[in-house]
Amino acid sequence: MGTKATEELVSTIRSFVGCDFSDMDIIRALHLAKNDPAAAINIILDTPNFISKQKNLTPKTPNPKSKALPYKPPLFVVKDNGNRNSRQNLEFNYVENDAGDNTVDDNGSVSGLVGSEWWFVGSGEVAGLSTCKGRRVKAGDEVDFTFPLKSKSSISPSPSPGKGFGRRRQAATACSEIVRFSTKDSGELGRIPNEWARCLMPLVRDGKVRIMGCCKSAPNVLGIMDAIQLSISVYLNSVMFHKHHQTSLKATANSTEETVGHPLSILFRLLGLTPFKKAEFTPANLNTRKRPLNSKEGSGLPESLLNAKVSKNQYGNGNETENQESISEADLENIVGAGDSSGLEEMDPPSTLQCELRPYQKQALHWMIQLEKGKCMDEAATTLHPCWEAYHLADKRELVVYLNVFSGDATVEFPSTLQMARGGILADAMGLGKTIMTISLLLSHSDKGGLSNSQSGSQLCTGGISSDSSDQNPNQLNKATKFSGFDKLKQKKMLVNGGNLIICPVTLLGQWKAELETHAQPGSLSVYVHYGQSRVEGANFLAQSNVVITTYGVLASEFSAEDAVGNGGLYSVHWFRVVLDEAHTIKSSKSKISIAAAALVADRRWCLTGTPIQNNVEDIYSLLRFLKVEPWENWAWWNKLVQKPFEEGDERGLKLVKSILKPIMLRRTKTSRDRDGRPILVLPPADVQVIYCQLTETEKDFYEALFKKSKVKFDQFVEQGRVLHNYASILELLLRLRQCCDHPFLVMSRGDTQEYSDLNKLAKRFLKGGQIALEGEATNVPSRAYIEEVVEELSKGEKGECPICLEACEDAVLTPCAHRLCRECLLASWRNASSGLCPVCRKTITRQELITVPTDSRFQMDIEKNWVESSKIVALLQELENLRSSGSKSILFSQWTAFLDLLQIPLSRSNISFVRLDGTLNQQQRERVIKQFSEDDSILVLLMSLKAGGVGINLTAASNAFVMDPWWNPAVEEQAVMRIHRIGQTKRVMIRRFIVKGTVEERMEAVKARKQLMISGALTDQEVRTARIEELKMLFT
Amino acid sequence: MANSNLPRRIIKETQRLLSEPAPGISASPSEDNMRYFNVMILGPTQSPYEALHVEFSAANRLKLCGCMVQPHKALGSWRSPSTSSCGGVFKLELFLPEEYPMAAPKVRFLTKIYHPNIDKLGRICLDILKDKWSPALQIRTVLLSIQALLSAPNPDDPLSENIAKHWKTKEAEAVETAKEWTRLYASGA
Repeated sequence: MGTKATEELVSTIRSFVGCDFSDMDIIRALHLAKNDPAAAINIILDTPNFISKQKNLTPKTPNPKSKALPYKPPLFVVKDNGNRNSRQNLEFNYVENDAGDNTVDDNGSVSGLVGSEWWFVGSGEVAGLSTCKGRRVKAGDEVDFTFPLKSKSSISPSPSPGKGFGRRRQAATACSEIVRFSTKDSGELGRIPNEWARCLMPLVRDGKVRIMGCCKSAPNVLGIMDAIQLSISVYLNSVMFHKHHQTSLKATANSTEETVGHPLSILFRLLGLTPFKKAEFTPANLNTRKRPLNSKEGSGLPESLLNAKVSKNQYGNGNETENQESISEADLENIVGAGDSSGLEEMDPPSTLQCELRPYQKQALHWMIQLEKGKCMDEAATTLHPCWEAYHLADKRELVVYLNVFSGDATVEFPSTLQMARGGILADAMGLGKTIMTISLLLSHSDKGGLSNSQSGSQLCTGGISSDSSDQNPNQLNKATKFSGFDKLKQKKMLVNGGNLIICPVTLLGQWKAELETHAQPGSLSVYVHYGQSRVEGANFLAQSNVVITTYGVLASEFSAEDAVGNGGLYSVHWFRVVLDEAHTIKSSKSKISIAAAALVADRRWCLTGTPIQNNVEDIYSLLRFLKVEPWENWAWWNKLVQKPFEEGDERGLKLVKSILKPIMLRRTKTSRDRDGRPILVLPPADVQVIYCQLTETEKDFYEALFKKSKVKFDQFVEQGRVLHNYASILELLLRLRQCCDHPFLVMSRGDTQEYSDLNKLAKRFLKGGQIALEGEATNVPSRAYIEEVVEELSKGEKGECPICLEACEDAVLTPCAHRLCRECLLASWRNASSGLCPVCRKTITRQELITVPTDSRFQMDIEKNWVESSKIVALLQELENLRSSGSKSILFSQWTAFLDLLQIPLSRSNISFVRLDGTLNQQQRERVIKQFSEDDSILVLLMSLKAGGVGINLTAASNAFVMDPWWNPAVEEQAVMRIHRIGQTKRVMIRRFIVKGTVEERMEAVKARKQLMISGALTDQEVRTARIEELKMLFT
Repeated sequence: MANSNLPRRIIKETQRLLSEPAPGISASPSEDNMRYFNVMILGPTQSPYEALHVEFSAANRLKLCGCMVQPHKALGSWRSPSTSSCGGVFKLELFLPEEYPMAAPKVRFLTKIYHPNIDKLGRICLDILKDKWSPALQIRTVLLSIQALLSAPNPDDPLSENIAKHWKTKEAEAVETAKEWTRLYASGA
């Protein structure tokens, strides 16, 4: 007989006898039985000491009590609600008797089962399958369950060589899913059905569930495959609820790995437990819902998003790359749909709002108020959340367990609709006044902040059931008292009730404060800016203000702080309302800031963003998670029903997104029309033009030289076929070329000044070096006093004299001994290029140790002395000159602050007074600059870095914008320009973009256009990759 | 002429030497070669090369009070308006080579001096003029160093063996000789 046949037999037998027996044992038995599997099984099972491992199955002292137990029918077949309590009590008595009498406890579990942490869920009838022959079991016999150990599955010894191994292992694995039962008298009897085993195993393994069982009926003498009716009682460990909540604050990220199937809900179903309150919204609903979606609209929805997703993955390096992938405005409209919202009702703002709202803003106010109301609070607090089911446990303590049908989460806290999204996404396009609409909301409906100090327990992440016990109606209170027993079990974090929390980018901090102050009647709202080193920690303090404004950065750092809940920061407050401004900041769901935002505890949540989707539909997921829109805050569901179909080009994904967003998102654009067909917003016209510049001869020479050099490098990458691997270096090449178009000086700017631009850091660097050396030779170390002096000098901007050339240091470097010299002088004094002595103190130093002295100027040379205007600057000056007489203000945008440095020279020389705003300014400085620019008539120009000024800032004082250099992503440019073309702008707006002809800039424009083409056609991965290489090649032609 | 492409550093140094001369030191460039300097150093007090004489050293505190002479024009800022016509003024020549400041200046005593580190040709044994040169040093610092060398002769690293031996064996006698030489040759005439 072939080995193959033997293996099959072995695995067959194994499925009956379990993995306690080695292959060798089974083969031995088969041999004895002359290859008759049935006989072999009998031999194995009938021979008590067939192997020594069987020992644990041999009967122990019989348990007389168990025989005396009366047979009880499983409880939950009874559906009569009226009788429930008495029935339950009966059942509990039974359980208690059972457990109480049964002091023999192999697993140490039985007596523990009635302890407070084990809750009786219910019992069910199970048809077990006998795996033995000739043994006996009576009705009422208590049975023990043996769960396979994980480790056992793969280590069964393999006596026969080679090829059959895989199969045996398979058999062994299958075997590991088998839950066996035994009695004390007869040893192993059989196994329970797979259905039960599968859902019980993970729960039992994690200690969440314990089961007890007894035999209900069985044949007098068991034969193999005979049915044994069992009654199984299931106990739930209350600890699993606490654990879940305690860890949940920071474990949110893990939710992405959750699967869609949930053993607990399956178990409940098997137990015949029916929810006394059913979920209104279930996974099944979604499936049925799919069909109408499917049949409704036709296609014609953008594949572009899919492509954006596909292509994004490949270009993960470099900041710029990320920004390059974006969804065009048109696509965005397609997905999120600037829906026809003209029919919305209007609502007048409260009198405390000190400005007029436009009709569409009043509509938004009405919409927001409605969304926040949902059902009225009281009702909401007592209405079961539609994604949760409520189960009565059979436990006599009248436990109610709530099970989320989507996530499988279980809780004993009442999941009310309060947890549902109360709020939404206000996604009006830029410039429509989202801020003012939000302020009117704050004024219209803002109960209080901290006026009452009523504390209430609520849990992080589950969103917390309501908070204000005063809000709870009697019914709810009843419930609360009813379950008060558990409350003691729980470790509740006491959160202080707070007011409104606004989270915005740091650039907008001042603006929010200013707008709140100007638009809200004095005294109507108290505002506290929670930012900076001096921010006050103290939940009570935070809760006292009606409005707390903070930044994403502060939020993230408080989130990662130790004991975020208890330390009196943002997480110690149960907010009345949280508003995320520029909410796309949290778009990447794995980022800390995104997780941090979702972990805030609040009753109402709002996202303000003009671009709810920037790169990918996934961006929406983060917002939904923050908003607690169930079930979409669960990654598994989102991924299964939206993300995946979407990526696979299944339209249902997109349609589902639309249907999810429809009720919770409001989006209007500047072209939206009111119900009479008029545009909702009339802005003065904007005149957008591109100014094409021509390089001068010398500039051209320089550019050509640089271009050739870059192209050689690029061609090398192409030859090696490593274009996409070297994406970052190629972008660097392009960056230099693009800078060259602005001004050749930029190419010569120094790269490494930023590292020690913080002088304190610099000082520390020296002093630290000093400490290390103290252990060794203390003499060569610069003294603290000396370093302080040097740093002081640097901070005053004193250039210092180079001890070698006796001139002010140019391109100064600092030695590790804190001596300052011109880089060139120092290097010239060395005999070799890599190291030498410090000319001042003769300490040996290496080139790597040199620190580029942070200076204001990033140029190696004195740009002022050698000043030459580039053709772009000439063109700009001409434009500014034309505007000078009119007194109208302009903003100059560049991506490079170094170019702003350069621009200052010609501006000063032409006596055009200017101010400057870039990323180096702190909040107060920014505010001062913006105020100065807006109010001082003599200041005509604001120099602004594209990144610093991109979002939110209102600069309507200016009516001209000059975009000095093209940015990859037109949306970023647009956003910057929209700072002036928005509500409050009264003058005609002029926007000029500068492009240098015949350079990379011009080709970038072409690529942008091409990209639109690429986006609109469906491309495969490979095609996108090729297209991307083509695109780069285009830039280098 | 070489002066036309004189490095800015040399010009700057020269200007400073003339406008703010170091105490007891004067250096002025030659008119036909800006790299060649005529130098005068006053012997430091309490050294055998002292500008004032032994006669006065009996009363140390009063040593600067007598023997007043017209200060040399270039020695305007001598730390007290006193110098002696009867000694302590040493003439040197200093030349800045082409590589200066990456190479040390060449300096030589013109005035005869009895000193263990200075030979009869006036050559000076001083580390910073040789391997310890650093471009961060300047004419001024070099001359100050030479002045300091007069205060602290180092017979252990001699240039003039005989004088060094003399110094080491009979220091008092050697010092007397040095004083004598100073009187004889460094009278500043």
